[in-house]
Amino acid sequence: MALAGCSGDNEKATTPDGKEVLNITAFIGTPNQAPAKDNRIYKKIQEELGVNLEMEFLVGDLQQKLGVMIAGGDFPDLITADTKLVSAGAVIPLEDLIEEHAPNLKKHFAKDWNRMKDSSDGHIYWLPNYGVYTGEFISNYYSGPAFWIQKSILKDAGYPTPKTLDDFTKLVRDYAAKNPTIDGQPTIGFTTLASDWRTFPLLNPPEHLTGHPNDGGVVVDENGVASVFADKDISKRYYKELNNLYNEGLLDKEAFVQNYDQYLAKISSGRVLSMFDQHWNFQAGEDPLVAQGKIGQTYVGFPLVYDTSITDHYLDRPVINLNNGFGISKDAEDPVALIKFLDKLMSEEYQKLLSWGEEGVDYQVNEEGRFYRTPEQRKEQDDPAWRLINKAEGFYAAAPKLEGTFEDGNAIGAINQPEEFYDNLKPEDKELLDAYGFKTWSDFFSPAPENPVYYPAWQVDLKEGSDAAVANKQMTDTSLKFLPKAIMSKPNEFDNIWNEYVDAYKKIDVKSYEDRINEQLKWRIENWSAK
Amino acid sequence: MANTPGAIPEQTTRTVVTKTPLLKRLRGQRQLMFMSLPIVAYILVFSYYPIWGWVMAFQNYSPAKSFSQQEWVGLKHFKFLLTDDAFLNVLRNTIAMSVINMVLGFATAIIFAILLNEIKHKLYKRTIQTISYLPHFLSWIIVTGIVASSLSVDGGIVNVVLMKLNIIQEPIMWLSVPEYFWGIVGASHVWKEVGWNAIIYLAAITSIDPSLYEAAEIDGANRYKKMLYVTLPGIKSIVIILLIMNMGWILEAGFEVQYLLGNGVVVDWSQTIDIFVLKYGLQIGNYSLATAAGIFKTVVSITLIFAANTIAKRLGEDRLI
Repeated sequence: MALAGCSGDNEKATTPDGKEVLNITAFIGTPNQAPAKDNRIYKKIQEELGVNLEMEFLVGDLQQKLGVMIAGGDFPDLITADTKLVSAGAVIPLEDLIEEHAPNLKKHFAKDWNRMKDSSDGHIYWLPNYGVYTGEFISNYYSGPAFWIQKSILKDAGYPTPKTLDDFTKLVRDYAAKNPTIDGQPTIGFTTLASDWRTFPLLNPPEHLTGHPNDGGVVVDENGVASVFADKDISKRYYKELNNLYNEGLLDKEAFVQNYDQYLAKISSGRVLSMFDQHWNFQAGEDPLVAQGKIGQTYVGFPLVYDTSITDHYLDRPVINLNNGFGISKDAEDPVALIKFLDKLMSEEYQKLLSWGEEGVDYQVNEEGRFYRTPEQRKEQDDPAWRLINKAEGFYAAAPKLEGTFEDGNAIGAINQPEEFYDNLKPEDKELLDAYGFKTWSDFFSPAPENPVYYPAWQVDLKEGSDAAVANKQMTDTSLKFLPKAIMSKPNEFDNIWNEYVDAYKKIDVKSYEDRINEQLKWRIENWSAK
Repeated sequence: MANTPGAIPEQTTRTVVTKTPLLKRLRGQRQLMFMSLPIVAYILVFSYYPIWGWVMAFQNYSPAKSFSQQEWVGLKHFKFLLTDDAFLNVLRNTIAMSVINMVLGFATAIIFAILLNEIKHKLYKRTIQTISYLPHFLSWIIVTGIVASSLSVDGGIVNVVLMKLNIIQEPIMWLSVPEYFWGIVGASHVWKEVGWNAIIYLAAITSIDPSLYEAAEIDGANRYKKMLYVTLPGIKSIVIILLIMNMGWILEAGFEVQYLLGNGVVVDWSQTIDIFVLKYGLQIGNYSLATAAGIFKTVVSITLIFAANTIAKRLGEDRLI
């Protein structure tokens, strides 16, 4: 029998000062590339905190993976948040652990403490990874939903500001007519995505076009009542527009059969002129374009609406990312050590390490104490391969984190440091922002109004196996079946297929889904308002 | 098998087993019994013991509760399955794709084996055989990638060739036409497995007595007649046995191919039972429904195997059981 060459399994690794290294297993619910074996930041964490992170990243479909994990009853110490795991009793309540052992986390989540409690039993199971700000809220980089268009199109048209869907499609039409191929491959005017759980690029635009914020599958009216919009006229209008684009040959013919990887590959080829998506979702397809210096083929997001009487509500105030981040599983041998570790990482020292990097290596500090990067350091940050060796991105994205500004006034993360953001802009980007008279990518959007108490509705837990969950599955299936059919039909057939779709939708128990959402929104208003 | 002494030799292929007392027979075969113990234990532990988990299908199973706390719901999940339009639809797809794969798989493998057998040039024959079974070792994720890019409207080889031959004017979107889906899956299966499936038939062909061919030749049979009247009957029994064995897999039309090649547009034709179970069972945490579907599959499979076996028996062919 040949033994597999696993080093260090039997001999306990130790830190330089002789402490035993604690092994923490973590499952991260996003498909990152695994970091390099001797990654600088993870190594530093191991040396200083005595913790070795053994991370497993998602491959394939998250719900399937979690379903199998639950069926097998085997969990890593730290596990990506999902409401399914609460129903399955796979994670432990954290409130007492935080109270006793985690002053940094306690302070960080203090004002959201009530929101983090599960609506069914009042326990806190998750440490949300985004949306809790200290100091000033800065968003230079816009990570949310928008209609994205290539920068070279804007330059070509003299930097116009498309406000409506019609303005936007006209820009795309004109540019595609002038440039039938890009880098030798056929130009794709507009693409979309509906694969696995990533169906929002296809399903969410109608709510945005009508001036609603991102509530997922529902729009919420001024009385706080949520209703499904997928089969309503506000949706029909958008899909009819896609139907027109399709019949003009501007819509990607394979938009509905592509999977996420193919979609990213297409975007990184630089020949997709526009799409609707959330920036974080296609960022991985944009990175290679930046690395190759094809800045003209990266994107600017616009908050389109149906007509100019509607105010856009794409940009929203930060809201705690409930039901996301990490939880601690029931299999964890030493929850106290885990929470202490996460708490140490929440200190400013480690947050600086995770967001900016190491002083003198990844960033410099000037006489006023402001952090900045040299041109070489910026170049390194653009290189995805370099980041796998020198940044702890996979873990940092999933872990709770400080956002906003540090106590010394520096922004958390280089992208949010105003002068650093501006200096780091590529010449093409400076030219573009100057032409619009803007400072950041968020300036293209209307300022975010105050969030309603219950916002956002998409975070509502439908409860495993409930009628609402089954209905939601059937709704998505029905949309994915009929919408592509309608969009890819001849212009005169569109209405018939749309009517078929509406009829099919009527057969689903949509009410149970709406009821669950509304009941939860009510509960939030009652329990979260009095703060 | 030699006939046992005392039995009257008959003009049949069947052997006659004389009845001896059970205990005596057991004692006589104790080494055999002893040798089979580990296998029996293995099957008990890994195949029979897990059947206990079937009780989940009659509960609203929740992983957070202990066995005594589970809520019993009787046949609720089976009723849901057998009255749900979507499930009947996936049942149709599963059986259709399975039958297509089976018929195509058998026909192509048998034809391929017989044709390959006719080639007399040793090296040439071996090369073809090797090339033909190599795709079997590719995983489906790779094969579906190859299939998807060959069928792409964006410079996929299938569309390019058809357009160059002027058979079509516009590229066809193969993967967005529901009616093409079964055919694409069938063709992908053939491409991947034909060489592998042919191996067993080639082996069976080599065991045919050469004197039969000589006799046929003397009777004036040409090449095709020999294939038809010597080779085919010679491998008939192995074909029947494989068919019976495959009957049990009829509800296993596959999962990977349909999951990887399928999309919202063709879902009515691409979704198989396994995908349905994944979506409505595992993904939304409805383990009981997933188990009920599994039981349904098992019962149907066992029934089909026995049915096929009985038919083979009626036809006087070799049987599996």
